[in-house]
This record gives sequence, structure tokens and C-alpha cells, in this order.
Amino acid sequence: MGTVHPLGNAPLLEVRGVSKSFGGIKAVKDISFQVREGEIVGLIGPNGAGKTTCFNLITGFYTPTAGQVFVKGENVTGAKPYQMAKKGVVRSFQKTNILKSLSVFENVLAGRYLQTRQGLWRTFFPGRAVRETERAAREEAERIVHIMGLGERMNAPAYLLSCGELRLLEVGVALAAKPDLLMLDEPAAGLNSQEALGLGRILKQLRGSHVTSILLVEHNMGLVMNVSDRVVVMHFGEKLAEGAPAEVQRNPAVVEAYLGGGRAA
Amino acid sequence: MRFERNALLATLLITALLPLVIRDQYLLHVAIMVLFYAVLATSLNLIVGYVGEFSLGHTAFLGTGAYAAALLSTKLGWPMWATIPAAGLLAAFMGLLIGSITLRLQGPFFVIVTLSFAEVLRLVADNWVAFTNGPMGIAGVPQPSWLAQAGNLATRQFYFYLAWGVLAISLYLAYRFVYSSAGRAAVAVRENRYVAQSVGIRPFRYAMLAFVLGALLAGMAGGFYAHYISFVGPEVFRFAFMVSMIIMVLIGGKGTLVGPLLGALLVTFLEEYLREAKELRLSLFGLAVMGIVLFLPRGLMGFLATRREVRPTAAPPVAVAIAPRRQGV
Repeated sequence: MGTVHPLGNAPLLEVRGVSKSFGGIKAVKDISFQVREGEIVGLIGPNGAGKTTCFNLITGFYTPTAGQVFVKGENVTGAKPYQMAKKGVVRSFQKTNILKSLSVFENVLAGRYLQTRQGLWRTFFPGRAVRETERAAREEAERIVHIMGLGERMNAPAYLLSCGELRLLEVGVALAAKPDLLMLDEPAAGLNSQEALGLGRILKQLRGSHVTSILLVEHNMGLVMNVSDRVVVMHFGEKLAEGAPAEVQRNPAVVEAYLGGGRAA
Repeated sequence: MRFERNALLATLLITALLPLVIRDQYLLHVAIMVLFYAVLATSLNLIVGYVGEFSLGHTAFLGTGAYAAALLSTKLGWPMWATIPAAGLLAAFMGLLIGSITLRLQGPFFVIVTLSFAEVLRLVADNWVAFTNGPMGIAGVPQPSWLAQAGNLATRQFYFYLAWGVLAISLYLAYRFVYSSAGRAAVAVRENRYVAQSVGIRPFRYAMLAFVLGALLAGMAGGFYAHYISFVGPEVFRFAFMVSMIIMVLIGGKGTLVGPLLGALLVTFLEEYLREAKELRLSLFGLAVMGIVLFLPRGLMGFLATRREVRPTAAPPVAVAIAPRRQGV
């Protein structure tokens, strides 16, 4: 599956037996799965299944109560969110999170932080090298805005964007950070079916050209089943099933989780 | 970006020419105070406008700088060109200390704790008589000896250009910070901590950088103040300085570099003209702040806070190349 990487056979992301409790509530129970290089993996499940908690555990916004997270074979359990970005894992958020008062272009440019950061001296006395880096970052940011189809809205402040445009912008900001693994938390929430199709096309293009792999939490089944190579199903904090989209759709346990026991047959 | 840079350069240039026109000592004094406050407002704006946290303890750095310059020159006999930078560096160090504690807090907690640090420093200055001379303050901070022979007007002109120099350095550093990757990171943290972290920005690092830079500038302003007024007492820590700085930043527009300069100009002149109104003055300022918060929440220059970087809106560069629209543009 996917391209063979010189780094070895370690998967890009490996989640090993991760659990998280909040007080007495076990939000995530002993979850394990992998995202290999070149894969798009969908993480689905009914509301409250623990998908977003899972995202927070992987990206360091929460620390797991048990279990480990590995990125390219390296144990990154408990790393801080900003450290995860350096490891090549960048996420978007379920509740739209962008830099509201900045323009679309500035949002994406801000996402390019890791490529543009400078030491203290260079910050106050930038030379040609810094100008060159900045110019390249601006061009790349502009290109990403176009990739996301927001070219017309380049200089519009983010608070003027429609819900669909915001979702695209979020993906653009995450993309600007040049991740190996792009983690998207419900990028199609609030999109109409046409927009969701467009997003699906963009995601497929991104894999291989801009990011190595994508991990996707999504409720829009059309989108998930269309873009994912593999789907992991969560239910009440546990992993219920895993497999190719078609397999998972036929899995009785999955159907029951979504539709309820009585009507499953 | 371009606009702010040009506006700053133009402001500095025009200001530099002022002493050629102004021959009135009192007016020159007001102009010097405008420059002094412009440095302070610029430094506070780095924290309020770019980190997005409201510091009420900025006088800690002004006071540290003023006392540092006063003590270094009276006790150790350091010349002015050394005391002002040293005042800035000591204040920056103080910023590092205070920041490493306060910047772990946000919102109202940050406000209260910064305020208490300034208050603690005021109490120290007030009570450590052996070192700071207590409430009596340090009088007779030396001025360059050649000024004794020069006339009053020449003295004012000298201090005007000194303040101008401090402001020029401050604006250069602030500009470089704001329009660097670091400034962009700070703004990203201000706008949304979570997004900032998820793209690899460590919020504490940039909050600290802005905080220490702000402290450095305020410290230099304090050092200048010590020599110009030639007296430093515990009242440099007093809240009135803080109030003026806040009003300047808010009226001018936080998160812009030009705003605080405009704020410093307006407020300093208002303060001079309202001097006769005494207590009423503060009430009027209170009303002004309420008015600004209600009707102009982003300040006079607030429109500059966004749209700092503009790119062509048109289709991707490829498409532009296919159908170039030269006419009418």
C-alpha cells in the first residue's frame, strides 16, 4: 500500500492502544490504527464516538491516559501541539478555527510559519536570505489559496467568508504548514453536496502532490467512502471496525451502530 | 505594509525638521513629551496590539529604566550614551523575569498580575531608601556638561533629537518585529491560539519576544526621561503613566504601528490643554476611552490592523498569462 519510503517500513502514524478518560467517562478506549504512507484514511462513527478526542490525543491537545502515538516510528505521545507540527502532523478543527480578522492570504501565510521562522538577529536585521524566504513563502501561500479555489477571495477578511469557503481556508492553512500527515476534522461540515464533491476532488489531488497521507474525520458518508482507501469506525470510544469502504459499509455491526439494532436487517 | 513603512518614515522625517521651525521652548517641551510618549505607546502596543494581552504593569519597565539610568549616572558616573541603552537592557531583563511568570496567564489574570508587579516595584522604590533614596527620589541626574554652556533653547533641541533618536530606534525594532515571521506568529497567536499551535507556533515564545521588546523600548524611554527631567522618584511607577499609555494605544489603534504615534500626539496635546481643568481632566479622559471603545473599537488607525498584505485577486498566474488584460488597467 502506498509508496515505499527510504525511512523504512514504519507507518506514518501509528496509534497503539490509546485511551482517554475525563473523570469517570472513558471517551476513548484502547484505540489502535495506522495511517500508512500514501493513504487516505477515514475515521467515522456516530456523534460522541470519540473521533475528535482521538484527534486531540494524536495532535497533543490532550495527553492520553494510556497508550502511545508514533509518527514515522518515533514515539510522540504527550508532545505539545506545536511540536507535532514540526514532526509533520498538522490538523484542522471541527469548530471552524481560523484567524478571523486576517485576510485569506494572510491566514495561509501564517500557516507557513515553520518554513519562514528566523532567529532573533535575522528578525531585526533581515538580509537577502530572509527576503528570499519571505518571497517564496508568499508565492507558495498564493498558490495554496488558488489550489483551494479561493483565488477570488485572496484579500477578503476571513470573517466575510461563507461557511464552505471557511472550510476550504482551514484546509489551506493546515496545508501551508507543509504536513506529511494532514488531519482534517469534519472538513465538509456545513458544505452542500456540490461543495463536498469539490472538496473530495481537492483532497485526492493533495495526496501525493502536497501531503503524503490524510486522516479524515467526516460525517458526510459520500465524501468519506469516495476518497478513503481505508475506513476506521468508532463507536462509544471503541474501534468497531476497520477496512476498505465497501467492506465497512456491509459490516452488520457498523450498520447497527448507525441505524440502531432493530432496523439493521 | 508599504503604507505603514512610508507613513513611519514620513513621520520621522517631518518630526526631525520640527526644531527648525519651532523656536518656542514650551512648544518644544511638549513636542519632546510627544516623542517620549510615542516610544511608550509603541512599546505597550507590542503587547496589547500584537500579543493581544492587556498589560497594566508597563510602568514597571518605564520605572526600571528611569531608575537604572539615574542610578548609573549619579552613583557610577556613566555618561548618557551608555545609561540609556543600559536602562533599556535592564528593563528588558526585568521583562524577561516578569514575562516568564505572567505570560503563562491569560485574560484578566494577566492584567491583575502585571499590575501587581508594577505596584511591587513602586513599593520597593518607595521603601528601599538606601538604594533609591525612597520617596525623595534621585535628584540632579547629570546632563552632558557642555549643555551648561549652551542656551535653554539649544538644550531643548538637544533633548528633542535625543528623544527622536530613541523613537527612531524603537520604530525600527517594532517595525522589524511586526513585519517579520515572528510578528506574523504573534498575530496568529492573538487571533487564535489553537490554529497557531497546530501549525507549529509556540505561543509563549512570541508573547515573550514581544513582551521583552516592549520592556526594552519602555526602559529606554525611562532612561531618557531620567536625564531630561533630571529627577526620578517612585511616581514613575504610578498608574497615571499607565493610563496615558493605554489611552494613546486605544485611541490611535492597537495592532498598528502608526496608531500609537497619533495617539501620543493627540493625548499629549490634550493633556497640556486640559491642564487647567485639573480633576475634570481625568473624567474627560475616561469619557474619551468609553467613547472609543463604543464607537471606534479599533481606534483611529484601526483600518490598518487588517489587510496588511495584499495580493492580486485575479485568477491563478497561469490564467493571467493566457489572457492578459492590459487595457484600462
